[in-house]
Amino acid sequence: MLVCLIGAAAAAPRLAPYAPDQIDLSARRSAPSAAHWFGTDELGRDVLARVLFGARVSLAVGLLSAVVAGAIGVAVGGVAGYAGGMADAALMRTTDGVLSIPRLPLLMIAAVVLQPSVPLLILLIGGAGWMETARVVRAEFGALRGLGFVESARAAGAGHLRVLARHLLPNAAQAVAVSLTLAVARGILIESALSFFGVGVRPPQASWGNMLYQAQASLSTEPWLAVAPGMFILLTTVAVNLAGDQLARRT
Amino acid sequence: MARFLVRRLAHAVPLLLIVSALVFLLIHAAPGGPLAIYLSNPNVRPADIERLRHALGLDRPLWDQYWSWLAAFMKGDWGYSFSDGRPVADRILERVPATIELVSTSLVCALALTIPVGVWSAVRRGRWFDRLTTMTSMVGLSLPGFWFGLLLQMIFALALGWLPSSGRATPGVGGAVDHLQHLVMPTAVLALVLASSWSRYLRGSMIETVGQPFVVAAEARGLPAMRVVLRHALRNALGPLVAIITVDAALLVSGAVVTESVFAWPGIGSLFTEALARRDYSVLMALLMLSSAAVILFNVAADAMHAVIDPRVTG
Amino acid sequence: MTLRSAGLAFLLAATAVAAGCGGHAGVTAPSNDLLIVGYDREPDTLNRFSTHILEDIQTCIVEGLTTTDEQMRVVPLLARDVPTLENGGVRLRADGGMDVTWRLRPGVKWHDGTPFTSADIRFTVDAINGPNYNPESTDGFDRISSVDTPDPLTAVVHYKEIYAPYDIQFIRGALPQHILEGRDIDRAQDYNRNPLGTGPYRVVEWKAGEYILLERVPHYWRGDEYPKIRQILFKFIPNTNTRINQLKSGEVHVVALVPWDKYREIADLKSIVVKKTPGNAYEHVTLNERHFPPFADIRVRQALISALDRDQYARTILDGLAPVAHGPIQPISWAYSDRITKYPFDPAKARALLDAAGWRPGADGIRVREGTRLAFTLMTQAGYAIRENIAQAIERQLRDVGVDVQVALQDGTAISSIWFEGRFDAMLHWWQMPSDPELTTFFAADRTPPAGRNIDYFRDDELTRLLYASDRTVDRPARGALLARAQALITAAVPEIPLYTVTRLDALPASLVNFKGNPTNTGIFWNVHEWEIK
Repeated sequence: MLVCLIGAAAAAPRLAPYAPDQIDLSARRSAPSAAHWFGTDELGRDVLARVLFGARVSLAVGLLSAVVAGAIGVAVGGVAGYAGGMADAALMRTTDGVLSIPRLPLLMIAAVVLQPSVPLLILLIGGAGWMETARVVRAEFGALRGLGFVESARAAGAGHLRVLARHLLPNAAQAVAVSLTLAVARGILIESALSFFGVGVRPPQASWGNMLYQAQASLSTEPWLAVAPGMFILLTTVAVNLAGDQLARRT
Repeated sequence: MARFLVRRLAHAVPLLLIVSALVFLLIHAAPGGPLAIYLSNPNVRPADIERLRHALGLDRPLWDQYWSWLAAFMKGDWGYSFSDGRPVADRILERVPATIELVSTSLVCALALTIPVGVWSAVRRGRWFDRLTTMTSMVGLSLPGFWFGLLLQMIFALALGWLPSSGRATPGVGGAVDHLQHLVMPTAVLALVLASSWSRYLRGSMIETVGQPFVVAAEARGLPAMRVVLRHALRNALGPLVAIITVDAALLVSGAVVTESVFAWPGIGSLFTEALARRDYSVLMALLMLSSAAVILFNVAADAMHAVIDPRVTG
Repeated sequence: MTLRSAGLAFLLAATAVAAGCGGHAGVTAPSNDLLIVGYDREPDTLNRFSTHILEDIQTCIVEGLTTTDEQMRVVPLLARDVPTLENGGVRLRADGGMDVTWRLRPGVKWHDGTPFTSADIRFTVDAINGPNYNPESTDGFDRISSVDTPDPLTAVVHYKEIYAPYDIQFIRGALPQHILEGRDIDRAQDYNRNPLGTGPYRVVEWKAGEYILLERVPHYWRGDEYPKIRQILFKFIPNTNTRINQLKSGEVHVVALVPWDKYREIADLKSIVVKKTPGNAYEHVTLNERHFPPFADIRVRQALISALDRDQYARTILDGLAPVAHGPIQPISWAYSDRITKYPFDPAKARALLDAAGWRPGADGIRVREGTRLAFTLMTQAGYAIRENIAQAIERQLRDVGVDVQVALQDGTAISSIWFEGRFDAMLHWWQMPSDPELTTFFAADRTPPAGRNIDYFRDDELTRLLYASDRTVDRPARGALLARAQALITAAVPEIPLYTVTRLDALPASLVNFKGNPTNTGIFWNVHEWEIK
């Protein structure tokens, strides 16, 4: 399913019946029809074409920001939970510090200051979203360490990295998978919230987030504008979740 | 325990200092200042702007402004709002009850949803209940808050006419029933989004703990299944959940910003939006410091709770 | 598990309350007892001299010596008449200054019963010019040398120089001397939160973040039969969708300044009428020729305006609600001139002009001259659906003639400081225009920021001379002739691209009578004393 979505995004230029920024002011706000499966928006642009092209931006933002967040989170939380003591205290207090600054306001201000491009947006969203994973991993590792995993593995002659990667991480996989899954949907939604404040992906480039934001103004008159991006975000969330479950089950 | 708490709280002070300097720099780096709004009035001239800038102390170097803010803040003087000239403390305190009310009912409702849903869907993994709640939480995770709020307004306020569309109370009416009616929709938005993600976490760690040797052993000893689940598995799965809840306390501050805006809820979230739009530095700083302090306190409390639930983990 | 039961109990109770009662107290029909206004933000202060934003609530409480009516004419309010050269109220002095004599309406009292006198006028001028108060603007006041009060109902204002907009100098009324004398007005919260006025209403409650409730005063100077409506409630609902939802559900009765894209949603409601008032502001694209030098070439500017189908924008994106604008002064103003250059949609002419100016299409279709691409950033305010859509339509149509546009969005506060610093190529925005047709600050060559608002950085000596001359002309026909020549010059040179005249939309109960509307920032409540629910 995830592969299908990514495939659709990659093949957007072929699949899309129109160009995503082709304006037709004589066919504005038309309801879904054979010519426009998902209808047209305020400027008469084809919603299907915009959703397909928007997939490129939104999937990149969702998936890559989750990867960024996951990598930082697992590293910080893993080291803290495994090492304990001073390192744990230092890392977790840093996490608390970053965490204590409200995320959306922080991102809003940062986005206003930086006027970010898509790659920078991915780094910002990922960089502001790793704390959850860190705390979960640290809690899981702490609990596992308490169960005697580490001692037995160390006694068997395993190095620290090996213990971390082979023994602890697989056992915490379920939790990590869940937090990564959530991070994907959250990344897409944060981009939407940033669009809400005008600092997300810039028009006329489409993203599911800014399409949803633009659709809310006409929710009661043209509800179909929201259906397509909403469905695709939902599909992505489900797909990532299934993939996460698979991943966790396999390890 | 007492030593643990004291040490953690002592750590919080330098943390707050660093956060305050960072936030101060950030909000001053954003284009526009408290006086920018006056620039849209053609009758306001550069001389007026210079006069106001000087009167408000905005023409001093940034470090100097930070230092005097910090010195005053430490003494409990939060200064005056740049937009309406009232004491910052007054502006914030009058907004706090509304936010506490919204956030606490949302937390309670979210927990009330999370625990049964998370436990039951893990125990009956793959059955219809698990599928249904999984699907529901996926929807909850995919809907932006502003969107969900508007949808509820359209259904319950406009189409059905059951609930007031927004606000905290009907002016001149008031009373418990009126109040509760106003609370339903914003609470539902916040609680559903939280429960959607929390129940995923709880389900995940429940599935892990159910398979752990000590749970299997307890079951083998012939303890009733439900008791094993609640006493042993849930208890062990609560650790990661508590970790998440503390993180989401911070998220809730952001969530409240959006929800309060959609429902015209007169809390500190809507005050934040207003203050950010006006670059009301003194109000922004006080709000961010307060929420940072609250989140840190919340974290300490949660870690203490974590230590109680799971004595193997000590701070 | 106590948490769980508490939560369940709450949900159950809430559902029961919602479904069982089958309704709620929030919906009330508008009546002469209570009119509810949905308002887009909470005011900072009700002191009219400390803020210019949103004077709607203030105009119900504090009255000026003059006000502007629905035709944007200056009419007397607390003054008996508007001083002019003809009626002897304005006298030009030989030293280049002028004297304006205000004759006050007799029998007007502040809400506390103290008579309103010329001493309050003198106090107001002194307070604004003095060191102890920081009003938002001292414009005009700083040209006043002194105020004489020969009797309680006469104030003679002495100006150091001739000042044409003198007639709206006291449109914000006066500060009450007996309340504010000797005090720090910036911190006089009793006055700033609950101002003493002479108007039909006073504040009875201000609930932070929620509402301001006004109630009629017992003895309004126009007579005890005014105002007709007993209480007006201003509810603060910043989110546009939420505000419109409350209007649709009947929780609010009036919404001022409805965004154009919301018109369709409420146009068919039976209980609501939407009044359209032609405005005096205009949306336009500023071309900053200092930041993006190609704009300095008049052929480029004329090409850009010819490439845009503004008629189509007005018909489609604006749903026909706002007409195309051609210049900086709008038809509603007395100073509007029809003898101006208009630019119909003509992409062929646009291409020809760009070719003639040496801009040739490059490999990617974007025009290039001497290694420079004809590519610029168009900045506009975030959160305004219409502006975002217009910006994208402009982007598309300019690309068709080989001009590359990047759309950038910023919040309102950022926009204000960005224009002040001149850090942008082009900007889609509008100015809040006062009722007086002064253009100097927008177009005079020496009024680039920080000295003014000429953010086109446009320089034309002839125009500058005309504009300054018009500011120093009090005689209206003579001033009108100068401004007509200025408009002809501006539209010929296209320093900016005018798009459309801003039309005000105000949603009101169908049962409300005597609503007149107002195109200026005086707002719709200027005649609130006459409003009545029938």
